[in-house]
Amino acid sequence: MLKNVLVVTALAALLPIPALAQSDDFAAYEKQLYEAAKAEGEVIWYTSQFTTEMSESACQLFMERYEGIKCSPVRATGGVTFQRVMQEVQAGAVQGDVFSTNDQSDLLELKKLNALEKFLPRNVEFMSPILKPMNDDEGYFFVSSVSPYGIAYNTNLVKAEEAPKSWSDLTDPKWKDQIAISHPSFSGSAGLWTLAMRNLFGWEFFEKLNEGNPQIGRSTADGYNLVVSGERKIAVTAIALSRQGEAEGQPVATVVPTEGLMLPPSGTAVLAGAPHPNAAKLFAEFMLSEEYSVWLRDLKRYPLRAGVDTAEGIDPLDTGKVITVPVAEAVRGLVEIQESFRDTFGI
Amino acid sequence: MASILSSLSHAEAGAAGSQSRVSWLRRFQPSSLLWIVLAVILALLIVAPVGALVTKSFTDPVTGGFTIQNYIDAYGRARHVEALINTLYMGAAVVVLSVLFGVPIAWACTRTDMPFRNAIRLGIFGAFVMPPYLGGVGWILLAGPNSGWINVAWQSITGFTEPIVNVFTFPGLVLVMAINTYFTVFILVSAAFEMINSEMEDAANMLGAGPFTTAMKVTLPLVLPSILGSALLTFLISIALYGVPALISIPARFPVVVIQLSEFFSFPLRVQVAAAYSIPLLLITAGLMVLQRRILARRGFAAVSGKGGERRIVKLGKWRWVIFAYSMFVVLISVILPLLVLLMAAFSRSWVGGLALDNLTLQNFRYVLFEHSSSQQALITSLTTGAAAATAAILLALAIAYIVQRRLLPMSGALGFLAMSPFVIPGIVLAIGFYAVYALPPVGLYGTYLILILAFTTRFLPIAYTTGTAGVRAIHPEMEEAVRILGGGRLTAISKVVGPLLKRTLASGWLLIFVPAAQELSTAVFLVGPNTRVVSVVLLDMSEEGLLERLSALGSVLLLIIVAIMAIGVRFLGRDFMLRRT
Repeated sequence: MLKNVLVVTALAALLPIPALAQSDDFAAYEKQLYEAAKAEGEVIWYTSQFTTEMSESACQLFMERYEGIKCSPVRATGGVTFQRVMQEVQAGAVQGDVFSTNDQSDLLELKKLNALEKFLPRNVEFMSPILKPMNDDEGYFFVSSVSPYGIAYNTNLVKAEEAPKSWSDLTDPKWKDQIAISHPSFSGSAGLWTLAMRNLFGWEFFEKLNEGNPQIGRSTADGYNLVVSGERKIAVTAIALSRQGEAEGQPVATVVPTEGLMLPPSGTAVLAGAPHPNAAKLFAEFMLSEEYSVWLRDLKRYPLRAGVDTAEGIDPLDTGKVITVPVAEAVRGLVEIQESFRDTFGI
Repeated sequence: MASILSSLSHAEAGAAGSQSRVSWLRRFQPSSLLWIVLAVILALLIVAPVGALVTKSFTDPVTGGFTIQNYIDAYGRARHVEALINTLYMGAAVVVLSVLFGVPIAWACTRTDMPFRNAIRLGIFGAFVMPPYLGGVGWILLAGPNSGWINVAWQSITGFTEPIVNVFTFPGLVLVMAINTYFTVFILVSAAFEMINSEMEDAANMLGAGPFTTAMKVTLPLVLPSILGSALLTFLISIALYGVPALISIPARFPVVVIQLSEFFSFPLRVQVAAAYSIPLLLITAGLMVLQRRILARRGFAAVSGKGGERRIVKLGKWRWVIFAYSMFVVLISVILPLLVLLMAAFSRSWVGGLALDNLTLQNFRYVLFEHSSSQQALITSLTTGAAAATAAILLALAIAYIVQRRLLPMSGALGFLAMSPFVIPGIVLAIGFYAVYALPPVGLYGTYLILILAFTTRFLPIAYTTGTAGVRAIHPEMEEAVRILGGGRLTAISKVVGPLLKRTLASGWLLIFVPAAQELSTAVFLVGPNTRVVSVVLLDMSEEGLLERLSALGSVLLLIIVAIMAIGVRFLGRDFMLRRT
């Protein structure tokens, strides 16, 4: 019996079936990581890439798959999350394990401070070919979500034909007092959006936008919730939220602006000196697992794995027009546009 | 304990042979050790953080040398200066509104025959229990410019499309702050009103003045020092609040100091610049405190005394209903309306859905109590750190108050002064000081419960100290002297006489600290770690996303627990325990 098993294993090793060998290999690696992680018992995930609710359910999924490891998400805006991590790094008392943000320039800053563990999940090789090149080329962080920015509107208050079609429609005077945006000093993706709009239209765009007196929130999710409640008619927000809201029957609809969706790829890294390093790595692997991509798809978000298709009615990323801001430019430009934003909007 | 210490010091005295040393130690009384212990504790809690703040503000972050560059960075921009001016302007406006709310009601509740005085008092205690950020959320639900309930009602009644009220404005910001801070004015001014005797008012009445003329010309000037004192306190409290500006001043586009400070804490993290930015604020608040002391010290009115004189209630006639309507209005906008909409939102699928059966749900409570991974833990953390801080603060304060009042030790006045000094340190500034000293290495307390408890203890020490002083003052030393005459030591006197007599003070002081400490946000915001999040911080994170229904549910649970604890306190202490504050 034992002999047979050995023979089969030997044969399997000899046979040219790399995928199978790899998955076996991965299973062994995963098991080993799981055991080590179980001994640590917990993973603390600082995140701004999802809403609180999604972060909780991602953790739930992780805890179902890896029993015995408590997953604690700490969700806040990118700015606040980064502030907390920076405080810990400065205090030399890192308390979080995994850090996810919509603003990859935060990750670059942390990398400069040697605050990131040099670690990429083995699962990166299964990532969708458009996303894979966006991982850190030195291997410190990877793309863990794609949450494009578009426009959401309240269907009770705005008819489809009246809804804005493009980013430049936002400055139309008819939306005075009816727009919600978020503050680039708090929200990481709002920072990238502000840069992208400036690149497209110049800073005059924001001066005109200011005449429409937009409500400025801290989080991208705030704008979406303002539209759902009818406090504002339209919002610049992550379309994943409004698509999910549509599916749940909320009075919202999504606009893909004619200039293209703004694409902030969220990044995730394991923090150097994390109190639960193995659990952190296991969680990072989990973020690129097939299960996780299927879960993303079911929430109308873009899956990360090559084999998982987008949900019905949502075009894959490579078919639509997207606006991106290179990370290097974000690092240079963000502080500057935060200043300009404050000068223009007075806050 | 003291006997152990004294025997220790005697043993040391025997061991140290030299004559001069022995004589020094002979003069050294064991009780001096207690003074030293208390002084060290206060130095760690207050002097170290403030000292660190001052030092950091002059420290070059790279070289560690002396620099004034931090001040240039902090104040070199017009916008940063504007935030400071805005803050002072806002504080002044909050003071005016708080006085307009607090003083007439304090007068009506203590000196007139206004109907339902107890109900109004109870309502105002609601303002004490409700944390400012929950009041803010309540007013966002009420006065959001487009779908706030007041605006929706207004628009459906009149047919107008323009909103009538907008919380995201300067007046909105001031209102939301004032509905919380007027409580301080009410409590302090009520206490003053209760100590005035009626003879002077009678004189005015006999000379033909009506009740309102008497109130304006006689009663009001008599309580003016208390009004000014409480106004300054209100100013200090309001400029230091973090939650309300985070909720309202960002959409209102009204930059204030606390928001600017949190910006220095974002990227790039500039503790030194944040420290430099907070120093002028500290100087202003300290200056105001000195001013307040001067005003109160000049109080030479023999009429304001605890003893003698009859205090009669002013009969208002039909005016009693007018003042009742005003009081009711204030209670309505400060407690009842915000609480009502908060509860309704907590039970709603969507807060704009209104009172419909299909909008009713318990899901928000289920979510915050069982599904949200940190809110359960946060509730426990808030209550336990609040309770620990209240206990530590009241014990520390009583020890200091006892020493100061009984003049047991030389320079005990310095201890008293130190114990009161956190009043002038805005919560968020205290947090920066604590972060600089205790969070960073070599102490490295970042993310521990201890740093939160220490910071909360410091923050609420002045309340504990005033309560403790009042309690100790009320006990005549002759009872302790009786113990001493009969051969008991100081400790026996304390444990058998003072302690039992102070039980009530202990309990009411504890409650007065526990309630704000369990809800504290400003101090917690830079000190919490992922495992030590308190409810206020979880609520703040929820507010970013606009999850108002869930936020309301968690806020209601916190309020419910605190009200329950208060109710137990009131049952044992009587309803007027809060008036013992002065």
